Amino acid sequence: MTTANEVLSSIQSALPGAVLDSRVESERRLWATIDPRKIVDVCKYMRDKLSFDHYSGTAGLDWIAKNEMEVVEIMASHGAHQVVAMLKVRTPRENPSVKSLTGLFWNANWYEREAWEMLGIKFEGHPGLYPLLLPDELVGSWPWRKDFKGYPDLTTGQRAVEIPTSDGYTRYMIPPTTMEIEAGTVPTERPKYPSLREREEMELKSDSEMIMHMGPQHAMVPGPFLLDVLVEGETVKKAFLDLGYIHKGIEKIMENRTWLQGITYTDRMCYVASLSNNECYCGAVEKILGLEVPERAQYIRVILEELSRIQSHLIGTGEFLTLIAGVGYAPWQYMIIDRERIISLIESVTGARLTHTFVRFGGVRNDLPEGFSEKCRSTLKYMESEINEFIELFEQDPIYHLRMDNVGIITPDDAKRMGVSGPPLRATGVAYDIRKEDPILLYPDLDFKVAVGTRGDCADRIDVRLKEMLESIHIIEQCLDRIPAGPIKTEAKIPKKIPAGEAYYRVEDPRGEMGMYVVSDGGDKPYRVKVRGPFYATFQTLPPLLEGVFIADVVAIAGSMDGCPSEADR
Amino acid sequence: MGISDVIPIPAAVDEELEKWTIFGQPVADVWFTTTEKIHQIIEMGPIKNVFNWGRKNSVYFLMQPMGCCGVEMFVFGAAPYDSDRFGCIPRNTPRQTDVMIISGYITRKYLPVFKSLWDQMPEPKWVIAIGECAISGGPFYDSYNIIQNTGDYFPIDVFIPGCPPRPEQFLEGLMNLQEKIKQRKDRRGY
Repeated sequence: MTTANEVLSSIQSALPGAVLDSRVESERRLWATIDPRKIVDVCKYMRDKLSFDHYSGTAGLDWIAKNEMEVVEIMASHGAHQVVAMLKVRTPRENPSVKSLTGLFWNANWYEREAWEMLGIKFEGHPGLYPLLLPDELVGSWPWRKDFKGYPDLTTGQRAVEIPTSDGYTRYMIPPTTMEIEAGTVPTERPKYPSLREREEMELKSDSEMIMHMGPQHAMVPGPFLLDVLVEGETVKKAFLDLGYIHKGIEKIMENRTWLQGITYTDRMCYVASLSNNECYCGAVEKILGLEVPERAQYIRVILEELSRIQSHLIGTGEFLTLIAGVGYAPWQYMIIDRERIISLIESVTGARLTHTFVRFGGVRNDLPEGFSEKCRSTLKYMESEINEFIELFEQDPIYHLRMDNVGIITPDDAKRMGVSGPPLRATGVAYDIRKEDPILLYPDLDFKVAVGTRGDCADRIDVRLKEMLESIHIIEQCLDRIPAGPIKTEAKIPKKIPAGEAYYRVEDPRGEMGMYVVSDGGDKPYRVKVRGPFYATFQTLPPLLEGVFIADVVAIAGSMDGCPSEADR
Repeated sequence: MGISDVIPIPAAVDEELEKWTIFGQPVADVWFTTTEKIHQIIEMGPIKNVFNWGRKNSVYFLMQPMGCCGVEMFVFGAAPYDSDRFGCIPRNTPRQTDVMIISGYITRKYLPVFKSLWDQMPEPKWVIAIGECAISGGPFYDSYNIIQNTGDYFPIDVFIPGCPPRPEQFLEGLMNLQEKIKQRKDRRGY
């Protein structure tokens, strides 16, 4: 097994002078500051020689006091070893610019676009630095920089000027506030880039092609996003994605709330998987603090997170089956009925249906109620029979197989290259699960299998989710058998001001690998929280995946990814 | 213009008809009139109550999930809470709906889209704002990208507080809207 120390010494010997500063946190975490001129070489060496084939994203930081910007490249591996390398590149705050990694990793594209539009860090060699999440009028004001004057903004709505257009639509112009004008943070010169519409129209080659809009409003996706497909006849030739319709700026807001208040925002990031988001944020803070979670609290967390996984997969699968309408309106209703049982079980502990704010630093908020164990067991027994019924039902249904088999196939190599994680990756046959790879809490002690598919098509993705639910039930039953008595919170006092430090923590969200990079500067608020969402990564793979399919399969493919645009937009 | 100009009836009958009134309006005016005039008359008469009875019992809502409340909206429309009992059925396109449920935060980028969804809905139409975000921006009130004063852009009839509200509260809000329609107290005055 490769360890962080071995990785570090390997880089140092192969590329002398590239590592300016380094810190080995544990066997699995490597922090290194890399010479900006050599970042591409280092990453190429790590990818080719040290099998760091999983590019997990980029985080931009604005160190205003040191007058510099920092880009953190998060690199991991698909099962070859468990080291996560956090490579930092520093650049001066005036005209910040670093080398792009898009040449090495295909999926660096969106992460770098985000860092550019939010912080104004230029990526040399990036194929198209277009805004991804922000509306056009905010591009150029760099909202995530620490000196951005447009936050807090309580007047956005009042300032909006309604402009009716000639074709019967309404446009809105939101002029800048006086404060912004005084501070001079209003972009006077906007970056030049073609709009989405112009980029789409550039691709139109002949009269037989046309652009079809799907969205932004869509009935069965829990959040709006725009999917434009360029079609010729029945075939999709190219797909375009536009998101940011529910971009709330959670990462910016969390920088302006206390540490504890931050937990409520993680709930609202992906509201069908809020417990794993809680876990991810709290785990990162616990890592900075060096806290140990009491055993009983760990058991409670695992039980609830697995229950949350079951309900998330139920609603995800149900939504998807309504998308391919003729096949699955009835399963949707059954799945929602079953989901209600799980929800009421979670509610009996946390007191909320969706937004729990239950996991706390060093423990959980409250203990399991009386009689939870018996109630849970009986519900799980019922759920198991229901899920087996669903599996049987889908196996027998010929229409289901006609719609789903061999549709939207991803090969294992493509899936790894594109950075997909979670059920879409496991459906291709790659047994990559953070619960096994980078285990947290009790997961190393528990017995469970990683459900994998064989073909990587839509049917396999659903199959993997259904099997995963059975595994989750198995995990919860083990936990209920073993749960000890004891405290549910750590006895150590949690300080209001978290000591300076940084941590990267990964959990297995129902949608895949979720990571949070939390930086503290010793204050009572986080300095920076970067969320590496699973669906953000999966979302990015949609346009290439949709090329060449029939229009009718577009919803089947897009839906089988179990989308949560809210978490992608943040 | 009299009725005898159009239909061959004796002038005496015409004279008699001109004396007739319907809700205080001359019958002749009503016969040779515009849709607008008919609407005015319907507005005054008790027939409106029959119309509103029908409207209140078939409030189809736009399935338009935008946030956490959107997930609760799924559940509200599905079997466990069964909004069908109140004549409230989820529809996928704005062109088939009567009620728009604002189920989350409206951002700068989404506001024009949302407005055009609203414009596509046929009259009569109502709006329900669900959750703190739709009412005032909720936990994201100070974000650079969120519209706080949703009520200035959409004539909201019912506000349902909560973060997110439970599906039972959805039902209560729906019943409040139905009562408002029945009593002709909704914002757009149907």
